[in-house]
Amino acid sequence: MCNCDECEQWMQPYMDRVLTDAERAEAETHLDDCAYCRKRYRFEEHLRQFVQQSVIEPMPAELKQKLAELRTPLL
Amino acid sequence: MSETTREPDARRLATEARDRVRFEEEALALADQVYRVARHLVGNREEAEDLVQETYARAFRSWRSFTPGTNLRAWLLRILTNLNIDRGRRIQRQPDQQPLEEGDYFLYNRLEETTDGVPDEDRVVQRLSQNDVVNALSEVPHDFRDVVVLVDIGDFTYADAAQILDIPVGTVMSRLHRGRRILKQAMAESAVGSET
Repeated sequence: MCNCDECEQWMQPYMDRVLTDAERAEAETHLDDCAYCRKRYRFEEHLRQFVQQSVIEPMPAELKQKLAELRTPLL
Repeated sequence: MSETTREPDARRLATEARDRVRFEEEALALADQVYRVARHLVGNREEAEDLVQETYARAFRSWRSFTPGTNLRAWLLRILTNLNIDRGRRIQRQPDQQPLEEGDYFLYNRLEETTDGVPDEDRVVQRLSQNDVVNALSEVPHDFRDVVVLVDIGDFTYADAAQILDIPVGTVMSRLHRGRRILKQAMAESAVGSET
């Protein structure tokens, strides 16, 4: 089983789903057993959602119109 | 020209027109997502708007070079990032010039120690404001920010980001790793200040 330092290292790859099956299983075992890392894992999940929501800026309607005008006219 | 040669020509033109219209419709349907990424790749809204317009102008001109069935959103972003580089909007920085960043738990620990009472992860994330995130993102150096924006905001895979930026997947991974940590440090500074 991995320790807290390794869990911290693996946190982002774990969330990106790029760990090997064996590493993933180790990370999950550690997260089940360790409240300290589990709390930080939940925070990371919330943080990712929060970052995504925070940066959403709707495209200005005029820009959408300008893009549509760039289309090739039908002959 | 006889009827027999004209007819296939007419059919070919009709097919091409249909393919082009389909391409343009599909590209326009992705405009919101393209803009969202562009908005955080460049410094301000005006630049992002110009860049998205140029991207679509070029995409509509060179639609034949898109391979149907491949990732159109990634294809559009590839054009956009190339235009961004061509226009010299980016100031390239050497990754080596960046200070060593803190570990992954740094932001949580920093926010937790400045939260009153018994903090849980919900209350800790509430210490951050939308402005903290937007400001922090603008402080991440370009090479790192490009990858963070594509993967964490644009939801591109590592492989797509590598193709869009024309860098190896390993470089995407290392820049993402450091970029996220630099972002967290900047968010911590924005939310609770840099003093300990």
